[in-house]
Amino acid sequence: MNRIADVVVIGGGVIGCSVAYYLAKKGAKVTVIEKKGGLCLGASGSNQGGCILTFEPPFRELARESVKLHENLSSEIGYDTEYRKMPDLLCSVDEQRYPDMEKQVQDLRRNGVNARLLEGDEIRELEPTLGKDIVSGIEVPDQAEINPFKLTYGLARAAGKLGTEFLLSTEVKKIETDKGKIASVVTDRGEIKTNFVVNAAGAWSPEIGKMVGITIPIRPQRGQIAVTEPAPYGRWRIIEDTDYPPAAFNKEEAVEISKEPRVKFRVAGTLLQESSGNWLIGSSYDFAGYNNAVTMQIIRCLVRRAIEFMPKLKGVNCIRAWAGLRPLCYVDGLPILSKVDNPSGFIIATGHGADGVALAPITGKLISELIIEKRTSIPIKAFAFSRFRSIKAE
Amino acid sequence: MGKKVNKIICRCEEISEQEIRDAIREFNLETCDEVKRLTRGGMGLCQGRTCEPLIERIIAEETNIKVSEILPFSKRPPARPIKIGFSTEGEVGEG
Repeated sequence: MNRIADVVVIGGGVIGCSVAYYLAKKGAKVTVIEKKGGLCLGASGSNQGGCILTFEPPFRELARESVKLHENLSSEIGYDTEYRKMPDLLCSVDEQRYPDMEKQVQDLRRNGVNARLLEGDEIRELEPTLGKDIVSGIEVPDQAEINPFKLTYGLARAAGKLGTEFLLSTEVKKIETDKGKIASVVTDRGEIKTNFVVNAAGAWSPEIGKMVGITIPIRPQRGQIAVTEPAPYGRWRIIEDTDYPPAAFNKEEAVEISKEPRVKFRVAGTLLQESSGNWLIGSSYDFAGYNNAVTMQIIRCLVRRAIEFMPKLKGVNCIRAWAGLRPLCYVDGLPILSKVDNPSGFIIATGHGADGVALAPITGKLISELIIEKRTSIPIKAFAFSRFRSIKAE
Repeated sequence: MGKKVNKIICRCEEISEQEIRDAIREFNLETCDEVKRLTRGGMGLCQGRTCEPLIERIIAEETNIKVSEILPFSKRPPARPIKIGFSTEGEVGEG
């Protein structure tokens, strides 16, 4: 198997498939290489399908553009990604946090996000399944949910129709360079000559970086989720625990010594009911290397909090629990959407953490612009690889 | 294309043989997990206990891969459905 491609994309997750689609749309001959026997088998396929965007800088432009792309994608690719508007409801059980909630609403509005503060029974009027313990909430109407499998496979199918080739069960062994430029990708099934490589390998992207001698500061962050049987409760909003948002785990030392299990295990609650009626109870933000097993401690923690929020869930069956590994940048938590100085032609598209599905379309579009037009339609300096002065490998 | 085959393969989610065959053909699927994710077959209460061997056989017929070489559903806990109220018994930190 010896081939030639304009661009080789490493990674068959939602980011790799999106990059392939937007490149193929511009006429590039793309080859996608995926180590596993199918697509969407990493973080892209083990999330809750919430399409919740942050509109705070530096994400504001990315988020706005990604929403526009998501809204038109189903008709563009001729396949329903099941993207649906669904408001987000950030809930608190802590009365003392009311001033924080007020401030959060002001911050959201300042960033141009529609948001309103709710108290007590106002929340239960919107979401009758929520328990009495919830004292305040913030409704953010313009969020969405999506079917991550259909998004990934829809993009892959559209890319395939435009000539993109998918090599599954294929592992990258080596990346050859010539005078500081990408020359070819060597796999266990042959070599592909190319001048561009896009590293979209998610949590595994540091391994690919090593092949060209660069350290990519990405660490796998585990997300554990429990799923229930279909329950007949109304589905209206994505319910989030705002007392423990993922950002609460940023202070490493405080997390280590905390006696509060939810903090120690890095559990932040997000409850989402699928159109099938199944509730997805997520999620953890813990670190366990490349181990994607679920742990009873964390599932117990997640589910216990879910019952506090929605007492009616208590009698519902849990039918499955799973975990995935998100690519998290351990320097600043921001994505890396960037070329590198050496070797030229090596592009990184990863580090989306929990936002890969939400940011996939804009990522694909920007990376295609970086390669074909050599300039991007919105500034991405905040996501440049050059922001890391000196990186310590993990 | 031959006549539609509407036998139910996944009883929990009510997914027909035709839906499974269509997904395999449209997306060149070769593993049970991919079929599950795109059709919901095997996603229900029994988590594929009934339909897994059937889905394997359909994939084998569509792709010419031997049944023994097809990746089965990935297995995840719990082994059988459990009321989520279990979490309120015992200490939160317990395994």
